[in-house]
Amino acid sequence: MLLSRLVEALGADAVKSQPEDLSVYSFDAYTEGSLPAAVVLPSSTAEVSAAVKIAREFGEPIVPRGAGTGLCGGASPMRGGVVVAFTRMNRIVELDLAHRRARVQPGVINADLSAHVAGDRLFYAPDPSSQKISTIGGNVATNAGGPHCLSYGTTMNHVLGLEIVDDRGEVFTTDVDRAGYDITAAMVGSEGTLGIVTSAWVRLMRMPESVRVWLATFGDVESASSAVSAIIAAGIVPTALEMMDAVATSAVERAFRAGYPTDAGAVLLIEHAGLEDDMNAYESAISAIARDHGASSWRAARSQAERDLLWAGRKGAAGAMGRLAPNYYLQDVCVRRSTLPKALHAVSDIARTYDLTVANVFHAGDGNLHPMLCYDRRDARQVQAVIESGNEILKAAIALGGTVSGEHGIGFEKREAMREVYSTADLATMARVREVFDPKNMLNPEKIFPAGAQCAEVRAPGNVA
Amino acid sequence: MTVEGVSHLLKNANENGECVLVAGGNTLRGMGRPPLRVDVTLSTLGLNAIVEDAPADLTIAVQAGLTLRTLAHTLAPHKTHVPFDAPRAADATVGGTLAAGWLGPRRHLYGRPRDFVIGSVAVLADGTIARAGGMVVKNVSGYDMSRLYVGSFGTLAVLVQVNLKTAAAPPMQRVFSMRLPEGTRERALSVLSNLNVTPAAAFWIDGFRGTIDGDEGQEGRMIVLLEGTAHTIERLTREVRSALGRAGVPETRIVDAGARESFERVLDAYVACVGERSITYRIPAFPDEALACARDLTALATRFELRHDALVDAMNGDVIFRVNDLDAMALGAKIEMFDDALHDQQPNAIVIAGNHSHRPLLAVWGAQPDAIEQMRALKSRFDPKNTLNPGRFVAGI
Repeated sequence: MLLSRLVEALGADAVKSQPEDLSVYSFDAYTEGSLPAAVVLPSSTAEVSAAVKIAREFGEPIVPRGAGTGLCGGASPMRGGVVVAFTRMNRIVELDLAHRRARVQPGVINADLSAHVAGDRLFYAPDPSSQKISTIGGNVATNAGGPHCLSYGTTMNHVLGLEIVDDRGEVFTTDVDRAGYDITAAMVGSEGTLGIVTSAWVRLMRMPESVRVWLATFGDVESASSAVSAIIAAGIVPTALEMMDAVATSAVERAFRAGYPTDAGAVLLIEHAGLEDDMNAYESAISAIARDHGASSWRAARSQAERDLLWAGRKGAAGAMGRLAPNYYLQDVCVRRSTLPKALHAVSDIARTYDLTVANVFHAGDGNLHPMLCYDRRDARQVQAVIESGNEILKAAIALGGTVSGEHGIGFEKREAMREVYSTADLATMARVREVFDPKNMLNPEKIFPAGAQCAEVRAPGNVA
Repeated sequence: MTVEGVSHLLKNANENGECVLVAGGNTLRGMGRPPLRVDVTLSTLGLNAIVEDAPADLTIAVQAGLTLRTLAHTLAPHKTHVPFDAPRAADATVGGTLAAGWLGPRRHLYGRPRDFVIGSVAVLADGTIARAGGMVVKNVSGYDMSRLYVGSFGTLAVLVQVNLKTAAAPPMQRVFSMRLPEGTRERALSVLSNLNVTPAAAFWIDGFRGTIDGDEGQEGRMIVLLEGTAHTIERLTREVRSALGRAGVPETRIVDAGARESFERVLDAYVACVGERSITYRIPAFPDEALACARDLTALATRFELRHDALVDAMNGDVIFRVNDLDAMALGAKIEMFDDALHDQQPNAIVIAGNHSHRPLLAVWGAQPDAIEQMRALKSRFDPKNTLNPGRFVAGI
């Protein structure tokens, strides 16, 4: 009945219900959820709206899905329902170059938008490492970050307005420039629990006049992270400030030959974009701080090709982990930037305690850690060790005044950890928003808000941070 | 006043069916409607502590009643700032500026005020003390409640503390001021907004004499703020001068000492009133349409025989338009019809200053937003008894 109604509304071609289809959509890059009752591939807002209305009629929850690259189960159906996959809604609907903005459908791939406007010397700033496959709709749902968020801000800062299909299938729009509650801000990062984004106005930025990329090497992670804290404390916020430890650089070099030194304990990848006139002074200031904190070498990328290669290595780092171990678990926590050395120290202690290899590749300038714990999922002891150390890392971040997700979101995986960060009153206040937009708890249920027992599944490799 | 005190006060008022007016520095009192009823006034001015100054993290947590001036003074030794750009910084509070959703002229460069907010403590109408976010600069743990409170005019909750991200303050500021000879206005604005190097702010001004510096030419005057390192300023100076020269603007006056004060006088003009006899509108426009918008409004004001002052934020496109008349009565005789005509042209115009509490017919919030139903539902879930600032916000919320 549900299926026939969906087929009637969207066409047979847009409704998937074979067991093999359902199984593919039962998980994202985190873990397996439950089998959905159906998967729909709408081509328009009207079709999304129709699908929501039908699902509601049958009491089936709705689970919106972009590319399924999320690492926390945000796109996994946990109570069955209808998965709304945005694969076919991948058009740039309107390009307003004069005002540097674009209206895109949620299925547009992040990197495609920047590529599309590159000829006009514009770009879309949020750049999660998954940007070659992840969608703008998914990025909006998780308020996705990326290396360049350090100076450009996360997805939140780049969304100007949204078109949303609500829990009843009705359509409304938001606009950050209009008086009224900032519903755009509530929607961004809400992981599909408040409404389904069917179109977004996003800001495009002018390409900077000059871009420089530098590499600084250090003997160990501690001195590199002290350098990062000192750079920030000096009021210097580069466009990107990334760190990789020796384990990570060796995997990256084996996979990409990107030009990272493999004999250093830690490497900082620093980018600054802006006016050519300021670049030399900038380089002097940052390199002096790096040297004061024990940098053993400092070099500038000499060409665009060299810069691109370094970035390709950095953004492909998670994928390169397959060279180290059959599986890895990628944690995402954010701490105060002055506590980076302590946080890194804690991560390394935890890994040692559980006898796991850890690779660190992360957005150091933001204090956003991404320890990757290497393991073999065929070994039950290692699986248990990874689950426990993942939780220990969350606790360590919280103890340092940090938070349980910097940019990947809460999804299903971390919902219990929300209790560690927020009081019951804080969570109840958040829940009021949920009750307004989704009183029947039909939009991506079992996400963000804690309930029941914690279930920390562990992922397979090949995922992208 | 303590946070617990605010909680206690709101809880009592809410239980007793009393209405609470929330006030900061009263600098943006001219925005929105007066509350339908006031039984208790809650001033946040006593909540003015610096909760945590963390310069090494480039963050600071402050109570909502702290003034923008004190915030700036606190950050100055660290060479950082939080560029909210609200008028009357000595009186304006951090909480009030955020609650009013203030948008300043340097946001094209630094971002919106809301984008500096990384955490908050708010007190709900029933006295619930709710925290959101934290002191980290990136955080996706649940809904961004802090940003939802920003721009909500204290109708969802009372902000009592905000945690802010800070940014390195520009080492140098320079102000250019110039009169515009005939035939130069359009070109001057267009060349400025298309420079490779971006001025921190650029304004075209017609009127506001005595409030904003500079002398009028045949087509008004301009004030341009440059910020950055000495190198940047040097480069900007060269490029701005040559661009303006191409546009036919021969002379510019440069102010280095006092540049900040000069810029602040422009900000103050946004809400400067002519006694009880003026109303000021903010009209959102695109930068390339703002000048035409100001011209249309000037024609409209002239038709209504209203005196007027105009200010165009060339970088963001905001048009600030103030009308006034000989006295409050003369203004009163025309303002409602003018308001109608203005909103016919610019449905999203909002009122940001003026004494209009007795003029319920003015469309102070402009056209009703599309998501009004959701907004009403939010209000009734957060403040079901309509305790907080009732009637002050959009569509009577």
